[in-house]
Amino acid sequence: MTFLRQLAKSAGFGSVVGVGVMLIAFTLIDFSGWWTARTLSNVIHFTSILGLIAIGQALVIISKEIDLSVGSVYGLAGIAFITLEPSLGVPGSMAAALAIAALCGLAQGILVVWGGLPSMIVTLGGLFTFRGVIYVWTGGSVRNFSTDAREHWLTRLFGGEFLGFENALLWMLLMLAVLSVVLKLTRFGNHLLATGGSAESAESRGVRIDRVKIATFVICSLMAGFAGIITLADRPQTHVTIGDLLELEAISAAVIGGCLLSGGRGSLIGAVLGAFIVTSFRYELIALGAPSSWFITFVGIVLIVAVIFNQKLARWAGHNV
Amino acid sequence: MQVAKKVAAATLLATVAMTGAAMAQEENYRFVMVSHIGSNDANMGWLTESLKTFEEKYPNVKTEYISTNNYSVQEHVRLLEQAIATNPDGIAVPIVDSDAFEGPLRRAIEAGIPVVAFNIPDGRPEGERIPYLTYVGGDEYLTGLHLGQYALAQAEAGNIPAPTGVVCASHDAAHQGLKARCAGMNAAMEGTGAKFEELFIGAEPAAARNTLQSFLQANPDTNYIFTVAGWSSPWAWDVANDMGLSPDVDNEGVTILTVDEAPVSIEGIRAGHLLAANSQGFWLQGYAPMEWLYWNKTLGYEPKADILTGPVIINAENADKWAELVRSVFGDEEYDNQNTW
Repeated sequence: MTFLRQLAKSAGFGSVVGVGVMLIAFTLIDFSGWWTARTLSNVIHFTSILGLIAIGQALVIISKEIDLSVGSVYGLAGIAFITLEPSLGVPGSMAAALAIAALCGLAQGILVVWGGLPSMIVTLGGLFTFRGVIYVWTGGSVRNFSTDAREHWLTRLFGGEFLGFENALLWMLLMLAVLSVVLKLTRFGNHLLATGGSAESAESRGVRIDRVKIATFVICSLMAGFAGIITLADRPQTHVTIGDLLELEAISAAVIGGCLLSGGRGSLIGAVLGAFIVTSFRYELIALGAPSSWFITFVGIVLIVAVIFNQKLARWAGHNV
Repeated sequence: MQVAKKVAAATLLATVAMTGAAMAQEENYRFVMVSHIGSNDANMGWLTESLKTFEEKYPNVKTEYISTNNYSVQEHVRLLEQAIATNPDGIAVPIVDSDAFEGPLRRAIEAGIPVVAFNIPDGRPEGERIPYLTYVGGDEYLTGLHLGQYALAQAEAGNIPAPTGVVCASHDAAHQGLKARCAGMNAAMEGTGAKFEELFIGAEPAAARNTLQSFLQANPDTNYIFTVAGWSSPWAWDVANDMGLSPDVDNEGVTILTVDEAPVSIEGIRAGHLLAANSQGFWLQGYAPMEWLYWNKTLGYEPKADILTGPVIINAENADKWAELVRSVFGDEEYDNQNTW
């Protein structure tokens, strides 16, 4: 009973309920369409990519900030991976792409923390700046990824399949496990939750909130960059629009997953479940014959419902929101 | 005395006329192309290359190409107004939004600046549209219509399956030109009994694949995919291939059509992945407006009809020639880079 009560009070509980309700609804209205290996594979594949970005976003939101640039960072890292490959090789271009992503996060973190600027403004600037860099760098067309590069063992490690599962799923689960441990069981995770909960209180207890926030922005950008690399390692045919509007889906996933924009409370598993909900809705709306442009409307509705539900849940769990 | 006066006047007139003609020959002009095709679109190369060729032919004309990357009508109008303020000798502009462009363009025309619409015309009836000299460009509706008719002819010849379901996959739900392409395809498919759907896949590659795969799973009758951008055709092929739908051009499975004389479209056709694409004559859309502006300034020519530069069907029979042409414009390295198959 205590366990159930604890579970109900956890930040990700809303998304667990959401997934349960959604699965029951989809089973009732579209059993034969939904419960097929192909449908689930399609939904889970994109959930993995979006989930990686949403995990990073969740960490930033827990620290009481937001990162609107993740879509552009995802795109920039992906473009860097493909564009730099001929000169640096697959391992070199992968490392360079991750370094670029980390630099994006570092620069934004520094501007937010030491520049005293709102993260919404800084990362909005990042969204445009990094997208602009993609346009200028590529001249409007992304180069092809050579056959050798596609068959490189490292490319296959990130983009291939293992035991019938897309490697993207396995990488997402690995990152989810690692970062969940970091958030729940390490000093850094403790400091992150404390910073998001009450920066003044955390600072008075010796937490270096500037370092915590900067590190969180770096991790968030790294996760977005990593997702970009994984996407292109699997499907290298892309375009300069890569990552366009993904930031909104990632933020939605994190919020649906139980992250409070007021900081200090959130769940990485919830963020992944949020990504699953967002992706599943896209499939089911199309399957039901709704125009695909309705998807944005539904995400908006689900987002508002999730915020209301999660706030009530947080208040019930004793959080000030 | 009267005769002497007439001779003197005629001599003066002739002198003035000849001087004027000589001055006209040497007069310098500046034409501005205010485009919506920015450096995030590989098609910009066609336009800038054609302007270079034009300048080589007419050294007394300076052409300027200005555009915006993050496209918005407001930004485009701002660029247009800036261009008009510099008082150029001619303007070429796509009429992306006739309401938004009407004010500045009418003011420019009233101020004596000739305007040629390119790429996108003012879609309103002739009496209501902005009084530009002419429109030079393709016709989006005809693009979809002729590609659809070409596919039906191939189906009749037994080269591809007859259509049972057609999806027009568009990356921009609000783009009137893309909607017109879909409408043209829809018109071509009327009477075949094939179900037609317009699907907004978005421009983000992973999300677009996810959306298209969802659609194909839910609509297993679909066997023609029309991607209204060349760069999204490999995504469609990938998805169909992953689903085991045999997307190559043969008499089974799914058939994919696309647009543009882009390397990715041409090489997709040459590899047997795509049935056909179209050319809307991008090079001419850069060159011809400048030529008409020049003829208008120097000779007073005013064309009385729109000038269509496409569509031209690109298929397996002529794709090699198209590849040669496009390589000559983009260069071998850039061409190969843009072939993402």
